[in-house]
Amino acid sequence: MRILIVEDEADLRSALARALRDEGYAVDAADNGEDGLFNAESTDYDAIVLDVMMPRLDGWEVLKRLRKSKKTPVLMLTARDQSRDRVKGLDTGADDYVVKPFDLPELLARLRALIRRSAGKTTNVIEIGDVAVDTAARVISLKGKPQELTAREYQLVEFMALHRGEVVTRTQLYEHLFDENDSSLSNLLDVHVSNVRKKLGAEFITTRRGHGYCIE
Amino acid sequence: MILHSIKWRLQAWHGFLLVCLVSGLMTGFYMFERREKLQAIDAELAEVMTPLLPRYAPPNSNGPGARGPGNRGPQRPPLREGDFPGPDDGPPLRDDPPAGLSEQRPPGAQPMGNRERSLAAISSGRFYFIAWAEGGERMAAATNAPANLNPPKQAQPNQGRILRTQGENRELIQFVPSGRIVLVGTSLTQTLAQLHKLALALVLIGSGIVIVGFAVGWWLASRALRPIAEISQTASEIAAGDLSRRINASETESELGQLAAVLNDTFERLQATFEQQRQFTSDAAHELRTPVSVILTQVQSTLNKERSGVEYRETLEACQRAAMRMKKLVEALLELARLDAGQTAGKREPMDLSQCVAECVALVRPLAEERKMQLQSDLSAAPCVGDADQFTLVITNLLTNAVHYNRDGGEVRISTRAEEGSAVVTVSDNGPGIAAEHLPRIFDRFYRADAARTSSQGRSGLGLAITKSIVESHGGTIEVTSEVGKGSCFKVCLPAA
Repeated sequence: MRILIVEDEADLRSALARALRDEGYAVDAADNGEDGLFNAESTDYDAIVLDVMMPRLDGWEVLKRLRKSKKTPVLMLTARDQSRDRVKGLDTGADDYVVKPFDLPELLARLRALIRRSAGKTTNVIEIGDVAVDTAARVISLKGKPQELTAREYQLVEFMALHRGEVVTRTQLYEHLFDENDSSLSNLLDVHVSNVRKKLGAEFITTRRGHGYCIE
Repeated sequence: MILHSIKWRLQAWHGFLLVCLVSGLMTGFYMFERREKLQAIDAELAEVMTPLLPRYAPPNSNGPGARGPGNRGPQRPPLREGDFPGPDDGPPLRDDPPAGLSEQRPPGAQPMGNRERSLAAISSGRFYFIAWAEGGERMAAATNAPANLNPPKQAQPNQGRILRTQGENRELIQFVPSGRIVLVGTSLTQTLAQLHKLALALVLIGSGIVIVGFAVGWWLASRALRPIAEISQTASEIAAGDLSRRINASETESELGQLAAVLNDTFERLQATFEQQRQFTSDAAHELRTPVSVILTQVQSTLNKERSGVEYRETLEACQRAAMRMKKLVEALLELARLDAGQTAGKREPMDLSQCVAECVALVRPLAEERKMQLQSDLSAAPCVGDADQFTLVITNLLTNAVHYNRDGGEVRISTRAEEGSAVVTVSDNGPGIAAEHLPRIFDRFYRADAARTSSQGRSGLGLAITKSIVESHGGTIEVTSEVGKGSCFKVCLPAA
């Protein structure tokens, strides 16, 4: 899962990015609306955390322009706690709305829900054969037994589970699992896939030569 | 309570005046009518008297008690019965006296003109007469004359005629110098009854007028006061919290319309003030939200798991920055609150503004040098009176703004001089300038020309508002001119010492 944070407040941006990375998300960050819009349009993020008050281009404008080309789920972050602002945000195409100062666990839960909804899933638990992916607890269990997965491995399984039945290309996986700061060693992805296969069964992820991976 | 209302008081006065007026008019009318009637009766009495006098009391009568001839009235030759002065006088008086007239005709008494009418009046029973001889015995009397009436006394010797009202009778008495007395009277019963009826009618009409007048007055008062009731109703609704409402002032010509307009104007200003206050509170809260969310997010994300010492340090530093920002904001808010309350108006000492500016320039110079800026000062003595600490704050604010919003390597100039009656400080820069649409608002609290926060640099958005407050509390003015791309110039004028 790759998330974009657009926030001009440096200390808030860094804290958010760290919290999201701890959750295993790949995180990109922009400190103004223009850069944020450029990132959002050029990459398929799983969600965007967008501040409203920013220099150059404010959150409303970024959202309006982004909605012309992309349906990426957007969570607005604002210091204005007024219902007409919420209405404006939701009408402009925001998917959720969080008022500063926010509670970090709540923000993370809202982001998870946002990503789940955008993948068309309404429950927390995705069951694939013997494997159950609990996106709320962020736990993967095999035949009812919780498995120890790293955050990155979990993100890989969750992303593929949300796109179950589809062939997920390596490029897609790179885009959604790694951010600009990660070293893009191509075999790193293979390492994660191989680790997941060891933990959840070799047949859990199938390889389509020349296309990518797939969870049936 | 209700009796103290304007409506009731108006009504009371109106009613009182109406009752006075109507009763006065009615009484006047009644009195006039009564006098007219009595006068008419008196005239009739005189008319009835006229033919009787020569008959019963000829002025040349020689009876005892006569004062002598020629002392009253023209001498007339006595007429014999049946002789009449002219054809106008109608048919002759018959020998048999008319009904109700008991003939005790004394010899020598002569009938006169109008006799017929007079006698007809007597014979109709409306009038009666009594004639007394010199000795006080009755000579003649109408049958309907009161039987027990004694001859009246002459109050003064020369009194000829007197009019009197005896019981319900009106009487005209003629004293003849010979000593005879002729009395003509009529009953007032009918007249009095008529007058009573008139009085009753007048009372009824008067009451009617008063009631109708009262009702109309009530209606008028209600109508006139209804707008007041509406105004007070709307005003109380506004007072209850709906400040956006306005009193309907459609009749702006009337006094009430003017009142409504004045009230509306007041509400307008109140609403603007409340709105400003609400906006200020909301802005202040908004300014605090960001540093609070920085601290909260930093701490929560750090505590999520075990971190390295460096990470803890970074977190603490971020929290410190946020806390410093809140401290600055709180200080600025307190400063504004103090200025608003006017508590700082106390300290007023004579001082030279150029010295104050020199200190500020020294303070800001390192900041300018950090960004490779020229900070040029042109200071000449500018004596003024005020609080040196506050002036320092004003000048530092203007200087740091000029440095902050200028481009690297730019230029900031500050000058002081004494102009007529004031000490002037100008701070100018050659930075990007301020767009015309922002100029009128840059002294507003929390207003920032670039909509976004540049607050990460620790700017509260209150600096210019505080500056303006301080300058104005000293009786000075601050103005700004700016041209996009060329730079801005702030000019502060303070009253000279």
